[in-house]
Amino acid sequence: MNKGIAITGMGIISAIGNNVEENYSALISGKTGVSKISQIATIHKNAIKVGEIDLTNEQLEAQLGLTPDNNYSRTALLGAIAAKQAVANAQITNMKDYRTGLVSSTSVGGMDMTEKYFYQYLEDEAVQKYIDGHHAGDSTQKIAQQLGIDKSLVTTISTACSSAANAIMFGARLIKSGKLDRVIVGGSDCLSKFTINGFKTLMILSDTDNTPFDENRKGLNLGEAAAFLVLESDEAVRAGNKKVLAYVKGYGNANDAHHQTASSENGDGATLAMEKALKVAGMQPEDIDYINAHGTATANNDLSEGRAFQRIFGHKTPDFSSTKPYTGHTLAAAGGIEAVYAVLALQNNTIYPNLNFETPMKEFNLVPQTQTKEKELNTVLSNSLGFGGNCSTVIFSKKP
Amino acid sequence: MMKDNYRIASYCHIKNNEISLNGALIFKGEGPFKTFIKMAYQHFAVDYPKFFKMDNLSKLAFMAGDVLLKHEKVSPEQEENIAIVFSNRASSLDTDRKHQESIQDVTAYYPSPAVFVYTLPNICIGEISIKYKLYSENSFFIFDAFNPDYLFEYSSSILDSGKAEKVLCGWVDFDEENYEAFIYLVSREGSFIHSTEEIKRLY
Repeated sequence: MNKGIAITGMGIISAIGNNVEENYSALISGKTGVSKISQIATIHKNAIKVGEIDLTNEQLEAQLGLTPDNNYSRTALLGAIAAKQAVANAQITNMKDYRTGLVSSTSVGGMDMTEKYFYQYLEDEAVQKYIDGHHAGDSTQKIAQQLGIDKSLVTTISTACSSAANAIMFGARLIKSGKLDRVIVGGSDCLSKFTINGFKTLMILSDTDNTPFDENRKGLNLGEAAAFLVLESDEAVRAGNKKVLAYVKGYGNANDAHHQTASSENGDGATLAMEKALKVAGMQPEDIDYINAHGTATANNDLSEGRAFQRIFGHKTPDFSSTKPYTGHTLAAAGGIEAVYAVLALQNNTIYPNLNFETPMKEFNLVPQTQTKEKELNTVLSNSLGFGGNCSTVIFSKKP
Repeated sequence: MMKDNYRIASYCHIKNNEISLNGALIFKGEGPFKTFIKMAYQHFAVDYPKFFKMDNLSKLAFMAGDVLLKHEKVSPEQEENIAIVFSNRASSLDTDRKHQESIQDVTAYYPSPAVFVYTLPNICIGEISIKYKLYSENSFFIFDAFNPDYLFEYSSSILDSGKAEKVLCGWVDFDEENYEAFIYLVSREGSFIHSTEEIKRLY
């Protein structure tokens, strides 16, 4: 019954690199991708820092070989690039040889183009093509097209910051239940004024580098990124004699029934999600070797997540760190980005430093890993905690 | 499976300024919805200040849910696995329009996060879940009209698969001044058979 869900490919583009290797090298050398914003003209440019991908839309379009009449949002561009990397990494040459689906997640979709052209839409026919690219599902359809997936399950998940973790979970369940043999899962979100202004209004954007789990944390930095994993069934792995990078061992999604937007301070949602994931994995808390925390560096998240660690792990919280200081918070893509980082941690037996940490929080004595650390890792737990207490946990392991 | 074994424990209607429980009128108010629902809130001594922050659809669904769950002696202290499956025709259009008006005019552009948060229909499920501490499965469907076949199949399947013990199910629609709620609790015990015909009859 408990089939192994194998990860056979990964692709990523983020503020710290345009592929898996670049991302890993930045992670172990402590090189951040967070800086002043350059590609979006915003009045907040001096008050915020972001995790921005250096490439322009034109450069991304060229990489994909798109013609000028395309209506790709930046979300679709980034997603297509990361998903194609993942498929190439898994050495898939024929999409049709197995029942292959796509579960992609996004929160902003084509909002970047809509906010750019909104007031021109009624008069300027040349930009009206972007209206069709606005909705979240459009980026997924374009990624499916780029990958050559048709007549199969192609769907979009948008549950704020837990989106990509939920995409991984849904993909794993599709394989486990035998509905599909192979699912490409992940997420993509570009920066937009919509998210910058939204988070600014919520007063949770830091004006400097984000400092997860630090007493003096000032909030998050937003980031843009896309990352995808190829999940395959035992049979597909065996038949193709595929190299397995790691396994999706457990997953859980929960809600804390606390508030429409905030998370409960005592970490109900994260606790429930971790409990469920451990149960699916058939593991005990002490089996976890490293936690890649959600750790956004907002007052609410880090307190809530830290309390959840204590509730699950008691006084024996394993090594943990948040990689948000590298990439910024990439919203719907975060669960995908951090899944790639979790697999890399397993492959290299390496824990990444939680950059910018200085002072432990007064509510508990949790101290994240602050230096790159080599250690035998068999199991990594990754948290993605969303607004409204929509919380997800995915557990990755070396063994099926 | 044993679909025919499920029962409907109770049902609640809210429309035309009246609230009824299991077919019996339990409250009659007056005025536009805003006035009527506030009268109902006072009449039933709901005592839940968050109610006043809700949009119309959430107030409607919350009131129906509160009347029914109280009658069924469901309490936030006692955790129960009750799934919620709601449906309607107008989605969250009533609030979407309010939000749209606040951003329509470039010179008087002032969107409110407190309004924006209600621009999804399933938020009303969240309001009931928050009050009753339900961590359960939930879904919101949009149909052209009340769709008892779909609700019957969907809630039976939730119960068959063991995802929940009970399902709070029904129709909560709000558009302009037209509103209607009809919700019912599907359970293993109750006076009514859980069948499409019976749902139609009670509706």
